Amino acid sequence: MSRSGKLGQASRLLHLPGVDQVTHDHASTRSSDRPVLEIRDLSIRLLLHRERTTSIREYAIRVLKRRRVERDQFWPLREVSFEVNRGERLGIIGPNGAGKSTLLKVIAGIIPPSVGRVVVRGRIAPLIELGAGFDPYLTGRENVFLYGSLLGFPQKELERRFDRIVTFAELEEFIDVPLMNYSVGMSARLGFAIATTVEPDLLLLDELFSVGDAGFQKKCEQRMESFKVKGVTILLVSHDMNLIRQTCSRTVFLQHGRIVAIGPTDEVVAGYERFSASSPPGQRTRP
Amino acid sequence: MTKAFSSGPSVRPESVTPEPGIYFAEHCSSGPLLTLFRYRELLRQLVIREVKLRYKRSVLGFAWTVLNPLFAMAIFTMVFSRIFGDRPNYPLYVITALLGWNLFSLGTSRGLDSVVINGPIIRKVFVPKAIFPVASVASQVVNFVFSLVPLFLFMVAIGVGFGRSLLWLPIPLLSLACFALGIALLLGTFNVFFRDVKYFYEAGVLAWFYATPIFYPPEIIPDTFKFLLYVNPMYALLESLRTPLYQGTAPRLDLLFLGLGISLFTLLLGWAVFHRFEGRFIHYV
Repeated sequence: MSRSGKLGQASRLLHLPGVDQVTHDHASTRSSDRPVLEIRDLSIRLLLHRERTTSIREYAIRVLKRRRVERDQFWPLREVSFEVNRGERLGIIGPNGAGKSTLLKVIAGIIPPSVGRVVVRGRIAPLIELGAGFDPYLTGRENVFLYGSLLGFPQKELERRFDRIVTFAELEEFIDVPLMNYSVGMSARLGFAIATTVEPDLLLLDELFSVGDAGFQKKCEQRMESFKVKGVTILLVSHDMNLIRQTCSRTVFLQHGRIVAIGPTDEVVAGYERFSASSPPGQRTRP
Repeated sequence: MTKAFSSGPSVRPESVTPEPGIYFAEHCSSGPLLTLFRYRELLRQLVIREVKLRYKRSVLGFAWTVLNPLFAMAIFTMVFSRIFGDRPNYPLYVITALLGWNLFSLGTSRGLDSVVINGPIIRKVFVPKAIFPVASVASQVVNFVFSLVPLFLFMVAIGVGFGRSLLWLPIPLLSLACFALGIALLLGTFNVFFRDVKYFYEAGVLAWFYATPIFYPPEIIPDTFKFLLYVNPMYALLESLRTPLYQGTAPRLDLLFLGLGISLFTLLLGWAVFHRFEGRFIHYV
């Protein structure tokens, strides 16, 4: 690669020009009837052999040996293209390591594409890992503002919705207690309440998280249902085929980072189930 | 895959050839600086967190921000007052530069590590990564401003007044912050790929401390090494910061502008390098 300097050679992600500009915006463009999400020729490339060069000594050794260690390319996603229209609910299925979660992370702006493009029109709510960025030493109240601003909510919006967030999370009594004294369920409830307080244009869901007890799960489902009714676009990654059938009208089947099938949920899921039945688990995952 | 996708990101999704890059709503696709600005609320939260949490569970709490340099000042005075005692108000001479040095050394050493430390966040949420070094340096600026209050009390107590020369203070302070941020961005970028950088820097910053006239006057440096003062930006920066406080006069303009120039250059360089490599951070943190 022409642009790779010393650090570039150490990189395990082959870097292509123009990729490093990741912009992210939460402004909504509801008026537009163009697809909420457009993905064209998206590929992610990693260079595996240079994986863990995190000290200069290791790096020097690799440079010396480099004639032997040539780049071993690995494509977590390869030439993925699809569009999602406003209000549509798309399922993403496939065996472990197929690239499902990577795809969500690219859409969320966490991983920049190596090749291809992703256009998102509107605000994303990435429910990929709830409460990423919670600080255990801060109180629940302080964390609402920290996590909220991490998700891009303006301060005023958070202040306005603060009571609603706390009520929804059922944490009125504990909101001024440091988060390290919360149970796992309490943190997750708070994370869910913050992340979903403003209705997004595009909701990214990785698996169906089981948040809290049965009562709270019911509330989560209701909130999801209200999003569905209001026409929020949803991308759902799951291994639960029943859930996919219930939720999604259209489904993508990924394998080895490529789209195997995309189309009406019933057909794609049926195809995936035949595929799963025919190949034993050991052969499904990559080395 | 050697074909270079050389053209930069376009904001028009209709263009015929697909270009690499990630695009959000086309009309608000923004540059990294603007993205950083949009996340100013997060910056505020991060600074609050850093200032708040630093002394959590300590009895004296925030007072440590002030006590720390006071203790250092006391030690330097005890050790060196014999040698440099002829200087009037030697303790004030030390602490005025020491506060600036602390801003720099804490801001850079935390800033350069901040991307790695916040790796768990970077892996899970989109966030402009430069926000972490910026927050580290900004929190040190906040600490500096807070410690000015007891410094002024100290100045009154020892009978040194302060006057209009204080109006100069924002310029060296801003320069110092820019310089610290530039170094933090630059070294922070390398630190993501080679964690050794942090340890090298920790050793280097100690040498740098002794090479800079902080507790000793610049005059004691032998003529053969005087040139060191002018290759060391911290000399110009700390002298410009110290003069309005310690001498109550305007800083030397040559040093003031030298410091400002070097700081802005370092900041631009740091920003450019950081921005060039930040797309790859996700695979290393």
